Amino acid sequence: MREEALKVIESVLSQGRTAMVEFEAKQVLKAYGLPVPEEKLAKTLDEALKYAEEIGYPVALKLMSPQILHKSDAKVVMLNIKGPEELKQKWEEIHENARKYRPDAEILGVLVAPMLRPGREIIIGVTEDPQFGHAIMFGLGGIFVEVLKDVTFRIIPITERDARKMITEIKGYPILAGARGEEPADIDAIVDLLLKVSQLVDELRDYIKEMDLNPVFVYEKGKGAVIVDARIILKEPKEKKPEVSSEYKERCA
Amino acid sequence: MAEKIVEELRPFFDPKAVAIIGATNKKGKVGNVIFENFKMNKERGIFKGNIYPVNPKLDEIDGYKVYHSVEELPDDTDLAVISIPAPFVPDTMRQIAKKGIKAVIIITGGFGELGEEGKKLEREILEIARKNGIRVIGPNCVGVYVPDTGVDTVFLPESKMDRPESGPIAFVSQSGAFAAAMLDWAAMAGIGIGKMVSYGNKLDVDDADLMDYFIHDEGINVVTFYIEGVKDGRKFMESAKRITKVKPVIALKSGRTEYGAKAASSHTGSLAGADTIYDAVFKQTGIIRAEDFEHMFDLAKAFAALKDKLPKGDRIGIITDGGGAGVMASDAVAKFGLRMADLSEETVKFLKEKFPPHAVVGNPTDVVGDTDAERYRLALEAFTKDSNVDAILVIVLFQVPLLEEEKIIDILAEYQKKSDKPIVAVAMGGKKTDRYARMLEEKGVPVYPTPERGVRALAGLVRYAEYLKKVKGE
Repeated sequence: MREEALKVIESVLSQGRTAMVEFEAKQVLKAYGLPVPEEKLAKTLDEALKYAEEIGYPVALKLMSPQILHKSDAKVVMLNIKGPEELKQKWEEIHENARKYRPDAEILGVLVAPMLRPGREIIIGVTEDPQFGHAIMFGLGGIFVEVLKDVTFRIIPITERDARKMITEIKGYPILAGARGEEPADIDAIVDLLLKVSQLVDELRDYIKEMDLNPVFVYEKGKGAVIVDARIILKEPKEKKPEVSSEYKERCA
Repeated sequence: MAEKIVEELRPFFDPKAVAIIGATNKKGKVGNVIFENFKMNKERGIFKGNIYPVNPKLDEIDGYKVYHSVEELPDDTDLAVISIPAPFVPDTMRQIAKKGIKAVIIITGGFGELGEEGKKLEREILEIARKNGIRVIGPNCVGVYVPDTGVDTVFLPESKMDRPESGPIAFVSQSGAFAAAMLDWAAMAGIGIGKMVSYGNKLDVDDADLMDYFIHDEGINVVTFYIEGVKDGRKFMESAKRITKVKPVIALKSGRTEYGAKAASSHTGSLAGADTIYDAVFKQTGIIRAEDFEHMFDLAKAFAALKDKLPKGDRIGIITDGGGAGVMASDAVAKFGLRMADLSEETVKFLKEKFPPHAVVGNPTDVVGDTDAERYRLALEAFTKDSNVDAILVIVLFQVPLLEEEKIIDILAEYQKKSDKPIVAVAMGGKKTDRYARMLEEKGVPVYPTPERGVRALAGLVRYAEYLKKVKGE
């Protein structure tokens, strides 16, 4: 698991980058058994057409560029493409949008992805605290995180008990448990996600700085979850082993 | 490892002989107040060790021989308290190392909190300490207060600041000013403090060390912390997880500043304030977070009395002699995530038989304004036997005319002793009530001035009991 993930990380670092594009981030996640969709990176239109056939229409296209991390701002995500003709047209459009947004954008390829059945949206994230190290965050996606900041944190590594408590302690929990006659969401799948992210970051703590899995679709009980979009920020190679700080900020009043 | 920390920190709390470096006869000076504290406690027969003032310019203070240097000190010296200006401390530390003293409290300020110069001094001191196995509390602190052994380095004189009696609560504070104010307040509120440590810049001895020490301190039931920041987060978490399995830890954390937003390039980073991280740390380690100092000592008081009879669940039974207070308590039960107990049929039947018709049987049970102590006894008898009740909140408005104050106090104390269910009391009122509340607390029943604070303290007991159940199951 670690070896495979490290290969991807080292390759990104060797290109002088610390921000992984979605495709790279998902490869790291996949190495740890996290659920990512069957996606393929197409370098050419022909490849894209071939992959779309394999995956089956409708598909989505997402342009991968280290300079374009906010893909929707740059309009480089095209959804619900129904056939080869439309794909050819969107292929042109997506490249044009990228050039307009960042003329200097280096394009690593275009991700061809299946259209996913919508589920309840959650966000899982990781940040690093200077005193306590990496912390994992959990919350519901969309307005719950944007407006209400209904999220909860734990220091990594977490136990299964921590993971379950995180899920039940957010205010929006009833939405996952099944409010208004809705079927309950797959809580065990979320627990599994949280534990795997915790393990991944614990083992790669010298490399990973921050992470956003946003959104993750969670389906009904027993039907699992899938990571729709992912970002990983790596530490600058020199940051790898932080020196023990001799700063003493605290003081007596 | 565990015993090592106990041995290392012992001289801070119970020294054979204390050297007061910077002792002086000038009233009001730090070095004078500390000397006076020890001297007074020696005269009272509380401090049993020897007192050695150190000052190159004096030969004698109040009949005590003054040593001109650390080198001259008798060999039984095992604690040094330093109150000389910062630039002289490293040299003194070297002499202390040579003398073989292993515990040092540096009261003096003017170190890391002032900038780079001070930090350099701190690094120098730490290096000497580490090389020679010396443990250091401070600098920039008020040090240690232990009423049982008479150690008192708090440089605020007794004429200006009262000292609390001994008790099962340990109080640790980063801030010296806060520590002093809290001790003064605890003395007034009748809250017993077994050990107080104010560690200031925590150059060496820190929260984690103290937690490791207090695990083994049989006189301490509950540990309270006032924290501004933690240096070694992982060490803090390890120690916290160990101690919370044995005794409760309550933390008041200040400095709710946002730092996350500025450096974060991820969504998650922008949502992680310093405070949310501390929340996570406390949850994961079983530390109970206090909202403010009142909450901290409300909880401490409850744990000090009831640590060994924690509630088995979250179902609260309420007995009151005032309807309004009962409603307030019920509201608080919901607010703090507890449940109102559903009284058993036997309880209801028993009380309905015994009570006059105008008393209200239920939860809350209202013994009403014409109650005597006996009616409370009946309610307590039924509630303590009811398997649907996990903890009991008893509201006593001492003002009602027929209530025999001392009798109700004895009844509450009796049931606290013989029942395995924790009983917490609420007494609302003024001076007269306060006097009875004190009497009740002395008999082992924690008392709160409002229903909300009483229920909040119960909620702390319930949450800690739940935490213990979970960690022991893992």
